[in-house]
Amino acid sequence: MTDFIYELKQVHKKFVKGQESVEIFDGLDLGIKRGDFVSIMGPSGSGKTTLLNMLGGVDRPSSGALLFDGNPINDLNEGQLAKWRADHIGFIFQFYNLMPMLTAEKNVELPLLLKKLSPKKRKENVATALELVGLGERAKHRPNELSGGQQQRVAIARAIVSDPDVLLCDEPTGDLDRSTATDILENLQLLNKEFNKTIIMVTHDPVAAAYANTSLHLDKGVFVEKDVAA
Amino acid sequence: MNDFYLIRKNLTRNKLRMSLNLFAIFIAFFLFGALGSIKNAFDAGVDLAAADRLVVVNSISFTQTLPVAYANKIKSIEGVRKVTWANWFGGYYQDPKQMAMTFIVDPESYLDVYSELQLTDNEKNRWFNNRQGVVVGEQLAKNYGWEKGDRIPISSNIFSLHEGGHTWDVVIDGIFKGETEGVDTSYMLMHHKYFFETQAYPGEWLGWLTVTTADPELNETISRAIDQQFANSSAETETTTEAAFNKAFIEQVGDIGQIITLVVLAAFFSILMIVGNSMMLSVRERVKEIAVLKTLGFPSARVFIMVLAESLLLACVGGLLGSVFAEVMIGGLTQVPAITRIFPNLVITAETWMTAVFLMLLLGCLTGFFPALRALKLKTIDALSKG
Amino acid sequence: MSALLPQIRTVVSMNILSLPQRMWMALTTLLAVAIVVAVLLAFLAMANGFQTTVKNSGSDALGIGLRAGSQAELNSGLSNEQVKLIVEAPGIKRNADGPISSAELYVVVGGVRKSTGLEANLSLRGIELDGVALRPGVEIMEGRMFTPGKNEIVVGRAVWRDYENFEIGDEIRLGTANWRVVGIFSANGGVYESEIWTDVRTVQTQFNRGNTYQVVRFALETPGDVEKIQAYSDNNPQLNFDISTEKEYFSEQAEGIFNIIFYIGWPLAIIMALGALAGALNTMYTSVSQRTQEIATLRAIGFTGLSAFIGTMVESLLLAILGGVLGTGAAFLFFDGMQGSTLGSSFTQIVFDFQMSRESLVSGMQIAVLIGLVGGFFPALKAARIPVVKAFSMQH
Repeated sequence: MTDFIYELKQVHKKFVKGQESVEIFDGLDLGIKRGDFVSIMGPSGSGKTTLLNMLGGVDRPSSGALLFDGNPINDLNEGQLAKWRADHIGFIFQFYNLMPMLTAEKNVELPLLLKKLSPKKRKENVATALELVGLGERAKHRPNELSGGQQQRVAIARAIVSDPDVLLCDEPTGDLDRSTATDILENLQLLNKEFNKTIIMVTHDPVAAAYANTSLHLDKGVFVEKDVAA
Repeated sequence: MNDFYLIRKNLTRNKLRMSLNLFAIFIAFFLFGALGSIKNAFDAGVDLAAADRLVVVNSISFTQTLPVAYANKIKSIEGVRKVTWANWFGGYYQDPKQMAMTFIVDPESYLDVYSELQLTDNEKNRWFNNRQGVVVGEQLAKNYGWEKGDRIPISSNIFSLHEGGHTWDVVIDGIFKGETEGVDTSYMLMHHKYFFETQAYPGEWLGWLTVTTADPELNETISRAIDQQFANSSAETETTTEAAFNKAFIEQVGDIGQIITLVVLAAFFSILMIVGNSMMLSVRERVKEIAVLKTLGFPSARVFIMVLAESLLLACVGGLLGSVFAEVMIGGLTQVPAITRIFPNLVITAETWMTAVFLMLLLGCLTGFFPALRALKLKTIDALSKG
Repeated sequence: MSALLPQIRTVVSMNILSLPQRMWMALTTLLAVAIVVAVLLAFLAMANGFQTTVKNSGSDALGIGLRAGSQAELNSGLSNEQVKLIVEAPGIKRNADGPISSAELYVVVGGVRKSTGLEANLSLRGIELDGVALRPGVEIMEGRMFTPGKNEIVVGRAVWRDYENFEIGDEIRLGTANWRVVGIFSANGGVYESEIWTDVRTVQTQFNRGNTYQVVRFALETPGDVEKIQAYSDNNPQLNFDISTEKEYFSEQAEGIFNIIFYIGWPLAIIMALGALAGALNTMYTSVSQRTQEIATLRAIGFTGLSAFIGTMVESLLLAILGGVLGTGAAFLFFDGMQGSTLGSSFTQIVFDFQMSRESLVSGMQIAVLIGLVGGFFPALKAARIPVVKAFSMQH
């Protein structure tokens, strides 16, 4: 058992576009501790989103090792990765990405289709997740009947309903005003502190980044400074 | 909630588009059912022909007659089990435009050979013993509102009576039903003795003979034996199986089956394109949602099946609605005498239904396959990065 | 408002230029319309061709006498005496040799169709030489006329073309005898081209018909007038004829079949058109929703709702008309001049050509335009009503 939930060793990532190839990461090393709240900042094109995608198993390193809980995930096949994501990862996107034809509660229930649970247990989990983000009374509303902040909270509920180890957030407050963003960030902080979720958040916003325990700055595929809070 | 709920929600999210697609599919299957029943009506003679029955006609053409003595001569040929014969009467009811197809037959042997025509023993006996009696097919009786016991005038556009005129008075002794739904019952049978006693031409003759064989395997041998027996006589015969005889007749009407198949194919092709394109478009519109599903951990295969199932659901719902409507409409049409006089046995057979269901599945798979494949191959990062 | 025309021009060109974005849907609509039009035209061409063939067969100047109630030549039967009596009726044209008439006997024989190799029923008509002269438009194309008393036949053009062994000089078995083909005749493309002719007395002998006939044809003094002849038959107890002009006779024979073709063709086309309409609506609604923002932006800078409406209508009509043209072209290519044949009321084959008429071409385009109009109208209405604020909202 290791302290690190994620370990990246000599990770390379190359994108090939026609004749040109762009090297995003050239031997990246990184460890993320279990239960940490990490923010990743950096200018556009610095590789933040690519890093997040690799951590979520929707993209792969070109070479190097990516360990989750001490086990390499970079050599899992697509099907195994899908299962791994369903078991361990919750995603939160900038534009929420809710299913427009489903109510909030059905949206939250979506990841549970991948679990073997009794209908009763499912209902409980969905209700708990929605309560946790403070949207219990809006369960029957569709996304287009909810504000941006409410939609993002539904998305958070969806991310946590199957009780994953890690929440991966891509600009979760990028589309929200300051006070709504604060709500969301407090929500995330709560999940980190009370429920011991490891959170990795990509953001442009220094205020958002301040909610994290660890702030990383990426530039051209390299961490320029590491600021480890006590 | 389960996958089916998601599929349903996906299908119904754009209600207008779904309705239009359903309607297009509805039309295709309605056409298939309705045209299929017309094709069946034409093909029934071939499909329902008995394997052990041979038809013997004059080799010049079936409109030429044969001598009466042929019946007994044929009966003595080895392998022949039963023989019966019939004549064309050219019947109409009251007005020459109101056709009432009538065969002049030998009652006992005819019903023995055509065992698919069903009468009660009571009706049979009454008819066998009543020369002026006729038995009428259910469909024909319905067309003119005839009932058992009615005395009706039947006119011939070919023959005349001794005492002048063309109209025979007959009594309906029974109304026969077909053993199965597709059996033609749009004609009536008249006693040959009554006819020949009263008609004006000299002599008696046979229009054609129907022979049953001991074994369908012997059909060919027996056909040849019959035709050889009468070779080089003044009335040579041509013997074929009942199915071949009926088929040759149908083919002469024009290749109805081929025309219908072509039209149905054209309709299906249009609908295939309309629905297929529409499905492709809706998958294209949902690229991001599909990417999210995959990111949440839904396996690609499951996403593939969900998209395919959506097309299948659409095709089956539209197809069933169209088929049921065709069934109801054909059912209604068979109540209209003007229609049943042209198409006597319109019916959507079990086989047509089965083909329809098969076509629904095929349509669903064809229209869903490429969109589903697109969903299967969808790269999540590409789709999600189009923020 | 004064700038409406340029507005419309701009919107229309934007509609048309954006077509490639939804190329497949547009092509689908186009093809669906084309198929509807082609199916309709095929049926109309069939009905039309059949009707023309039968119409060309009948002459007003010819009378035809059948046994009363028999309706068709095949069912009729006439004795020699009856024939001799009826031709003396007033109203029948005469020349130096007496009444101009032809007593005819008609039997069904088998022929092998070239296309399928299967046997089909053909009419062998025994005819008098007067009967050939009587029929307008009958011409020997090749060879010569049959010689009475010999087993010689002349063959209608359609039979010669579609059936085996009817070349000049061929010997062919019809019924129980062998016959020599000595000529090929045309008859204005009419029903007679589906017949084989020979001397009537030869048919009587070879088919054991004694001295009987089925039908008598005669020249009329006044074209179209058969009343005197019918009255003559009705007043003579020895005669029971139904007299009609040949034209009447044929159109009555053809009516049933024409109706079947015509009344299957139209409903079929209408039902299929509804299917195509669903496709057109789908395409046009897609077009409008794809361009919502674009239309709203134009509205925001002052374009009218009408221009948006017309832009969508033009797109829809363009697709439908192109489809109609494609369908018409395909129908012409595949069906015009195609041969059909069916069983006439005497159980023998009538061969006819599919024929496109001007009216059916108009009908085809009408149905295409109608699909375009209806298929464009509702989506166009939606386009015209797109709220301007959509221009400022994010596209999701």
